[in-house]
Amino acid sequence: MLVLKLLSLEPMHGWGLSYRLRQISHDVFDVNQGSLYPALQRMLRRGLIKSEWRVSDNNRRARYYSITAQGKRQLNEEVTDWERAAGAINRVLRFSNG
Amino acid sequence: MSWHTEIRSRLLHLLLRRKVDRDLAEELKYHIELETEHNMSKGLPEREARRRAQRDFGSVPRYTDDARDERGASSIDSWLKDTSFAVRSLMRQAGFTTLVLLTLAFGIGATTTLFAVTKGVLLEPLPYGRTETLAQIWSSWTGFPQTWLSYDEYEAWKTEIPAIEDIAIFYNSSANLTEGDEPERLRTASVVAHTFKTLGIAPLLGREFTEDEDRPGGGNVAILSHDLWQRRFSGDASLIGQTIQLNGIATTVVGVMPPGFRMPLDFAANGTTQVYFPMATTPENEGAIPGPEMQQNGGSHGFYGIVRLAQGVTVEMANAQLDNFVAGLKREGVYNPARNFRAFVIGMESQVTGGVRNAILILFGATTVVLLIACANVAGLLLVRGERRRRELAIRIALGAQGTRLARLLFVESGLLALSGAVLGATFAFMGVAAVRRSAPATFPRMAEVTIEPVVLLFSLAVAMLAAMLTGLLPALQATRVAPGDELKEGSRGATSGAGRLRWRQTLVSAEVALAVLLVVGAGLMVRSVGNLLAIDPGFRPDGVLAMRISTPSAWYPDSTRVVAFWNGLQRDVAAIPEVKSVGAVLLLPLATEMGDWGLAVEGYTPPPHTGTPADWQVVTPGYFETMGLRLVSGRFLDERDDMEGALSMVVNRKFVELYVKDREPLGTRVRIGGNSPDSLRYAIVGVVDDVRHNALTREVKAQFYASLAQFAKAPGNTRRTMSLVVRTDGDPMALVAPVRAAVRRADARLPVSEVRALEEVVKSSIAAPRFAMEMLGVFGGIALVLAAIGVFGVVSQVVALRQHEFGIRAALGASPSQLVGLSVKTGFRQVIAGLVVGIAAALVATRLLGALLHGVKPTDPLTFGIVVFVTGAVALLASVAPARRAAKAHPNVVLRTD
Repeated sequence: MLVLKLLSLEPMHGWGLSYRLRQISHDVFDVNQGSLYPALQRMLRRGLIKSEWRVSDNNRRARYYSITAQGKRQLNEEVTDWERAAGAINRVLRFSNG
Repeated sequence: MSWHTEIRSRLLHLLLRRKVDRDLAEELKYHIELETEHNMSKGLPEREARRRAQRDFGSVPRYTDDARDERGASSIDSWLKDTSFAVRSLMRQAGFTTLVLLTLAFGIGATTTLFAVTKGVLLEPLPYGRTETLAQIWSSWTGFPQTWLSYDEYEAWKTEIPAIEDIAIFYNSSANLTEGDEPERLRTASVVAHTFKTLGIAPLLGREFTEDEDRPGGGNVAILSHDLWQRRFSGDASLIGQTIQLNGIATTVVGVMPPGFRMPLDFAANGTTQVYFPMATTPENEGAIPGPEMQQNGGSHGFYGIVRLAQGVTVEMANAQLDNFVAGLKREGVYNPARNFRAFVIGMESQVTGGVRNAILILFGATTVVLLIACANVAGLLLVRGERRRRELAIRIALGAQGTRLARLLFVESGLLALSGAVLGATFAFMGVAAVRRSAPATFPRMAEVTIEPVVLLFSLAVAMLAAMLTGLLPALQATRVAPGDELKEGSRGATSGAGRLRWRQTLVSAEVALAVLLVVGAGLMVRSVGNLLAIDPGFRPDGVLAMRISTPSAWYPDSTRVVAFWNGLQRDVAAIPEVKSVGAVLLLPLATEMGDWGLAVEGYTPPPHTGTPADWQVVTPGYFETMGLRLVSGRFLDERDDMEGALSMVVNRKFVELYVKDREPLGTRVRIGGNSPDSLRYAIVGVVDDVRHNALTREVKAQFYASLAQFAKAPGNTRRTMSLVVRTDGDPMALVAPVRAAVRRADARLPVSEVRALEEVVKSSIAAPRFAMEMLGVFGGIALVLAAIGVFGVVSQVVALRQHEFGIRAALGASPSQLVGLSVKTGFRQVIAGLVVGIAAALVATRLLGALLHGVKPTDPLTFGIVVFVTGAVALLASVAPARRAAKAHPNVVLRTD
């Protein structure tokens, strides 16, 4: 979900994605960076993202990933689901605190 | 996810695997470089930056693999990988692979062969329309269980039996075709005009006979078989309407039958009908009363009958109606009740294949048994192999291989084996079908039609897949259950475990031994039975005798004087050939053609009421008795004295004397042929010979008399136009074929010679059915025995391997090598004993199916069973001794150090 969200803002390459994930989450998601790639391949296969080779900012060849229309739909669904679940959890927490 | 992106991804991956892998590697490398640069930008030295980048990334190969799997590589790619791995590992163990392949190929080959036979003989539809309502109709009398019907019966059944919608009659004969260079003797059928309509089939070319042609003087017309048309007239369609020379008569061809068409009785006959004539007869011609009226006892019986049953009528219903109607005829006194007349129909399928249905099903059962044994063996061999690989598999699982993946690998292996087995098996099946067709008796219905068709090959493939499932399942199931810890522990301890897995193998081996016993008992019984048949004294000496059929058609030999002159001349000419010891001729060759009987009146003998004095009749020329080696009991053989002018003389057999001339001097007794009618001829008995088993080696001998051709022909209509020449030599009878044929050509070049055979062949082919069953069961029994031996060998090998450590300890404690051998043989022998017991129990039940094929031996013959138990036990013992000796050789130290 997070990867899709990031890609919905702009196309990115693998390291960029991993860097942004660490940045945004303040290193909460401290997993091996390599595990990102199988996930990307899975999303590619399911048609949620697409990839193309481009020249990067520092003038090197890099594979950029971008979100597809199907990926956007998936993201919307997941975000809705997440918000519903998170809202419910929050309500429960608030209720038990009060 | 959408299926097309999924598939495209997988296919792309497969096609562009190199490129994708390269891309992925580049991508990961780029990631680490960027991370390194990022770390350096935070002030770390380059080496530390790179180390940290690599640490944070994790294992590059692992994520490469995972990413590749996510991309969809796994299924297709790893199947391919498994296959190539399986091929390599199978190639490494060439001995094992060869053993498994041959085992499977034998099983699949045998099953496919017998399936081809079953399909060709039992499952292929007969060449008629609506076969299910077709039947053959027969008469039966005391002593004649299945015989001809009469013209009066033909007319009566047609009109009086509602179950019979239509009935057609025919009789078989033969004709000489004298077109082109080579005269040929052909089997013919004279049929009523609507015969083909009744059979539900139309000629391929031309037309059926018309009612006008089916009358006396209706014209000389014929319909040819497809085979004859192709063979002699090169399939020329313009033959229709032209004339050909048949029996020296110009005959117009009006039609050609479709390929594969045969008359119902041709399937079990030595040759098929090649020419059809209209019967062209009338009730008056046949001495019958027109219409449903009947003569006493139905009149003279000489026709075969084909019946089309009415809609919705079963064979049983038709038979009930016939029984009912015949009972009425007996009450009215039309039929003499003492002769037990019956008329009955047999459904066409049973008529054609009923005689061999059981034999085929038995053999099909036998091959299925062989296939089961083969599968059990292959499963066993794979298990043994699996056993050796358990530690390899356990290590793999410990290193992270998935259980399902390993199971799949094993499954791929057995699938590969089964497929290669199928290919090899199909090759065996082609050879098998050729061999079966060669060795099957000529009277085996439809054997000539048996071929390997696509359906049959598909069957073989299906069998192979089944075999793969069966043989792959066990090892695969075991592999998935491997728990790495247990296995490695068990292996390292090397204790006497693995017993649970062994039990499977042992059960399989017991089953194999039981099945082998079943087949070998069957084969043994057949061997004994055929031995008994061959030991029967036929009453003549077949060795060194050559036989051939020659016909003298009435167009060229209008009266009996000329026929007799021809035979006298030919015999003189043949006798002049230096190697020829003696020569004669006979109307009906023993064990080749069945003989009918003739009513006699024997001087001084009064038959009991309603029985008459029937005797089988045989017509011979002087020299026949000597040539055939018949034994003279008293008096003399027929010779040159018994010519057309001489006093009428006959020779009778021993049975004749026992029945009709008991307690009197047979020589000189007067006998009238044709009963007491005024125009019958009076013969005097001049000699008595020993009984000849004419109709079959196993059938009871009937009273029989021999008359000379010259004298028999004196009665009007008694000229015999087809005789068999018999020639005796001291050497190989087949060496005489050319000189004797030359003599026939010198006598009359127009006459065709047919059925040229050594008399020993005639005798052998008369017991062709039991010999065929013996050969087939012998082959299958042998295969089963070998396979079972392989099974025993395998299981004992496994036991020895599993218990090596135990044996080592025993050896260390002082067990002698022979004790160790005994110990391992004993483990295998328990299964063998179990298999023997079960096999014998099964055989006691199953051999009853052989009943009709056995002669002079009971299905439960103790001698056969004893020998089989001994042989199977000995083979199993031998098979277990070889691996057991390995156990004895094991030195305690070596064994204890194995791990």
